[in-house]
Amino acid sequence: MKNINLKFIGIACLVLMTSIQSYSQISKAEIMATGLTCSMCSNAINKQLKATVGVDSVSTDLNTNTFTVYFKKESKIMPRVLKEGVEKAGFFIGSLVITMPTESLKIEGDKAISVNGSTFVLLNEELKNSTGETKVRVFDKGYVTQKEHKKLLKTFSKIASYAVENEDDYHIKAVL
Amino acid sequence: MKKIMLLLSLIISISTASAQMKIGDSLPDFQLKNNKDTTINLVSLKGKTVLIDFWASWCAPCRLANKKLAPLYNEYKDENFEIVGISLDTDKTKWMNAIQKDKLAYEQLIDAKGFDAKSALLFGVEELPNSYLFDASGKLVAINPTEEEIIMQIKNKVE
Repeated sequence: MKNINLKFIGIACLVLMTSIQSYSQISKAEIMATGLTCSMCSNAINKQLKATVGVDSVSTDLNTNTFTVYFKKESKIMPRVLKEGVEKAGFFIGSLVITMPTESLKIEGDKAISVNGSTFVLLNEELKNSTGETKVRVFDKGYVTQKEHKKLLKTFSKIASYAVENEDDYHIKAVL
Repeated sequence: MKKIMLLLSLIISISTASAQMKIGDSLPDFQLKNNKDTTINLVSLKGKTVLIDFWASWCAPCRLANKKLAPLYNEYKDENFEIVGISLDTDKTKWMNAIQKDKLAYEQLIDAKGFDAKSALLFGVEELPNSYLFDASGKLVAINPTEEEIIMQIKNKVE
């Protein structure tokens, strides 16, 4: 199997818990796709991503085998839509890093951020900076390789929600 | 008046965008630059059995396929057979290096815009490698032919 370079995708920040108005969501996502055939050799992922609602533009980096997706400001897209798009094209996500406003990642203790029915559980410590944007990587099943997922099930065995594999729960870690 | 013009141009661009090569279509009147910076028009290839092969330096399966195309060309080039490689590489240096590395002796054209390249859109290329076999009268007879099919066409044993 191909060796997959893991890249982080930033998630756009989701609405703050207390706020009624939704801020812009994920602004950018960097997807590394894998599959049985050359993912960059097929235009399928590119087309699927471009056709996804809320997507502003898609650029491909052939050196790192990455698709960078930029979202429209009003877009409320969730990672699962990207995962479904890649899988529909016949490939799998090897890594997903999303860019979000740092403010939205402030969570206390074990609490998770809830947005539009989806939950984001921060797996590492809170971020010190509260300005600008942060890149976080999604570690749930379908966003990492199968091999990695098996390892992660052991690493995150203490986090009850991780093993449940709820498609609307995202377990994330900030990436520097 | 303006509105009609806008509508017309919209219709025209939509129809060209959905244009795709089908069996029976002719070699298109389309030109690209080759690796010696000369402009080549595809239509000029009429008269020979032509295999147009879309590839890119970063496409591993394409590089594998090149290994078979290079000797195929060398073997049949004196039998009125031509291969034309059209690369969708956006990095020309990588393209030139690949030509050298794969020892490609046949015509190498470049349309440096990946899957958005005009030739890719014209031919309807959605994945790489992708090849189109034209007979000596300039008609498309096969898409992604096998080596056997190519040789049959060269030997003109196909009806």
